Amino acid sequence: MTSLGRFYLIAILVFLYTPILVMMAMGFNASLLYELPFSFSTQWYEALWSNTVLLKAGFNSIVIATITAVLATALGTMASVALSRRTFRGKSLLQLMLLPPIAIPWLITGTAMLIFFYWSGIGRGMHALLIGHVALAIPYVVLVVGTGFKTIRADLEEAAMSLGSTPVHAFFSVTLPLLYPSILGAALFAFAVSLDQFVISYFLATPGYTTLPVQIYSSIRKGFTPEINAISTVLLLGSMTVILIFARFAKPGDTSDKR
Amino acid sequence: MTEITRRNTLKLMTTALLLAGVGFSSLPGKAFAAGTITVLNWQGYGTDEAWSLKAFTEKTGIEVVHDYYSSESEMLTKLRTNPGTYDLVVLNAARCAQAVAEDLLQPIDFTKVPNAKTVDDNLLSNPNFSKDGKGYAVPWVWGMTSLAIREGMPVPDSYAALADPAYKGRVAMDDDAIINVGVGALMSGQDINDPKDLAAVTAALKSIKPNVKLLWSTEDQWNKSFAAKEFDLSLFWSGGSVRSKRNSKLPVTFVVPKEGGIGWVDGLGIPVSAPNAEGALAFANWMIDPAFYVEWATKVGAPASSNSAALEALPADDLSRQVHKPEYLKTMGIVSGIPDDRREAFNNVWQEVKAFYAE
Amino acid sequence: MQNDQLTLASARGPSGPRSQRSLPSWVSTTALLMPTYGWLTIAVFLPLLTMFAFSFLSATPMGKAPIVFTFKQYRAFIDQPYLVGIGITSLLIGFWTTLFCAILGFLAAVALVRSTFGKTREMLLILILLPFWTNGLVRVFSWTMVLRENGFLDSLLHMVAPEAGSIGFLYTRYAIVVGLVHGYLPYMILTCYIALSTIDDAIIAAAASLGARWWTILFKILLPLAAPGLISGAVLTFIPVIGSFMEPRILGGRVGVTMGTVIEDQFTQAFNWPLGASLSFTLLAVVLAIFATFSGVLRRGTAL
Repeated sequence: MTSLGRFYLIAILVFLYTPILVMMAMGFNASLLYELPFSFSTQWYEALWSNTVLLKAGFNSIVIATITAVLATALGTMASVALSRRTFRGKSLLQLMLLPPIAIPWLITGTAMLIFFYWSGIGRGMHALLIGHVALAIPYVVLVVGTGFKTIRADLEEAAMSLGSTPVHAFFSVTLPLLYPSILGAALFAFAVSLDQFVISYFLATPGYTTLPVQIYSSIRKGFTPEINAISTVLLLGSMTVILIFARFAKPGDTSDKR
Repeated sequence: MTEITRRNTLKLMTTALLLAGVGFSSLPGKAFAAGTITVLNWQGYGTDEAWSLKAFTEKTGIEVVHDYYSSESEMLTKLRTNPGTYDLVVLNAARCAQAVAEDLLQPIDFTKVPNAKTVDDNLLSNPNFSKDGKGYAVPWVWGMTSLAIREGMPVPDSYAALADPAYKGRVAMDDDAIINVGVGALMSGQDINDPKDLAAVTAALKSIKPNVKLLWSTEDQWNKSFAAKEFDLSLFWSGGSVRSKRNSKLPVTFVVPKEGGIGWVDGLGIPVSAPNAEGALAFANWMIDPAFYVEWATKVGAPASSNSAALEALPADDLSRQVHKPEYLKTMGIVSGIPDDRREAFNNVWQEVKAFYAE
Repeated sequence: MQNDQLTLASARGPSGPRSQRSLPSWVSTTALLMPTYGWLTIAVFLPLLTMFAFSFLSATPMGKAPIVFTFKQYRAFIDQPYLVGIGITSLLIGFWTTLFCAILGFLAAVALVRSTFGKTREMLLILILLPFWTNGLVRVFSWTMVLRENGFLDSLLHMVAPEAGSIGFLYTRYAIVVGLVHGYLPYMILTCYIALSTIDDAIIAAAASLGARWWTILFKILLPLAAPGLISGAVLTFIPVIGSFMEPRILGGRVGVTMGTVIEDQFTQAFNWPLGASLSFTLLAVVLAIFATFSGVLRRGTAL
């Protein structure tokens, strides 16, 4: 069973990484138009090195995605606590209201934001951009953390409280550690949502300010070059290294999955 | 993942916030000094070439900032919702009429655009660019959407080739309602801007179905699919064909069949609320300057300049010059501003045809 | 059940010495919900409400054209009957994508919790989520290179069987589903994994010692445990897939016409926001109706 499971996981990884490997390979292919056969070249990495616009866009994207992930995870987790652990009138309605931001295509939500922010005086700029990114990431966080809540028994918290712990203390010492996998997963998704978000940045950023997805989407009319593959590869390998180093040095022993 | 502790996560989040703070402080402030203009255009379309901006800034002291749009309706929305932001906007003749009707543009003071003296009269007098005898945009470049065929294949002489069984599964169409209705109109012998018999247009477009392999919506997609030999015959842009052939060495021939090309003109307009109209006029003049145009056309690949002096300054064997013959300006139909209900009807025709292709 | 007990417990207040300081539960509930829903109201609900109002207008209310109140945008499915076919296609694409994601994702989550431990599991989970951090458009373009005739898939096949023809299937509905499954599978794996991660090995050991076959364990124990994750994953997959337009456009070629692309065209080409908005809200209503129909079945354990 164990070996079958591992074999299956490798198959899934092959599927998930097929386009990623193609993307990486094309960053090293000489052809501007991604033509085969493959001929090795580092010209796109050299070009990327001097492409300050693209590098700055990549940096901006990471900054925004990081702030978005932190804010959306904090807000979404709070809401998830209330939605999962409290009973009150109108709860189902509040839960249902998380669906429109996911269901309505970003293009429409983005256009609606542009109009509404203009009319209401919120305007364009960094603040508007963040308002939009965080809002679109929140439903993903609430759903993922909510799933985590389903697997944790509420009676553990009650037990803590009956032993004299305050609800807040019980939450932080009992529930939160158990929720860590889901919260972290939610943060990773919030980061991904922001990193892929193009319409909102495009509509709401001040002219001259640009993010990587904006660069990618607005350059496809004329053609995006393998430099895009190069920077995507750098970003992916960079984040992979950071996460793996982080996981490596995370203190072993505090295994929150042991109940 | 489950072993990542709370303390470590908090550390990571703190680091992230600090990083974010650094990122914020390095953001450029809203710098709209007197010496700056903000241009609204498609990305990579002439106005944002680094070498040209450098020369322009050296010459005039004006810095150029860009904001981009990815569809023309988005351009209009940005104009409406950002008063006081843009100084110059690139807009198609068809959309210009609409923008003028909505008082989004101010009249052009042509005395401040000396290069406009040699702009082709056909373009200067285009009704889409003017209202009550005043010009609202400097005509900038023009081009055509017409047929492109892989080199070595017989050159078609009519749009009817799109439906020719010889090209079964080898045709790519431009995913644009106005252009396709135009093609359907030409195939059924009608005016591209006002086809009376939309049913005939629909039928003509539907007859292409067995040949249609894909619908492209960006030049990038066209280039990559053509390079991968996914189609042989397509609708394509004149300027795009020049870039594909010269920069990407793709074996493509641009053909204007007997029905004529579908012409378009892009102009440079100045929004009513432009903070720096003077600077915008100087930049518009630069954009139709022969020196700039020759470099743009030969280095990058461009549509035809509206300025006949600029077009004539190109080397005689230049591909742009061969593709954009000045006589087309008199023969081709130019996509013009049309009433809303007609545009809606055009869009419905194209949606219906696309749904039919997908069946 | 549990929720009720908790509310009762907090309403009564713990009997310890700290009870005077605890606030009534509605205050803390509101405090927990306010930031999120306040944020969503400003950023999403009010803008979308504006869009909803637009969907009853005759034209985009930005120009100077006279605007009148009308229901005609909501009659689009009757006036333009071809939209019905497109709608059904979109729902089918959503259904198949969600089904494949659910099967592949559930099994991957089971494999993660049953076949891997400690650091290996961590690494695998991170590796599964990381492809998500690349740009969606770049990923879709990469798929075109894999799936097209004489693309990577064909090259691979011809290495094994040089005489074989092409198995590339770019510009078909299969290609759209492959691209979408790839884009949404990590959601499903993560939500299923979260649901399964707290499973007690003792239960499975007990079941196995009582003679339960592996499929009994899979369907009678693991599947019900994973249900909350499957449902959240389905929500995060089915709903956005219905409105997606990038994958159909780029991978579908001629057949890539879906509700998502029709709506996108209304916003980018036709400048007919009212129609685009009405189609979107109709789609939202259909999606909600589908989830309401199944909610009886799903009520137990749904995260929503």
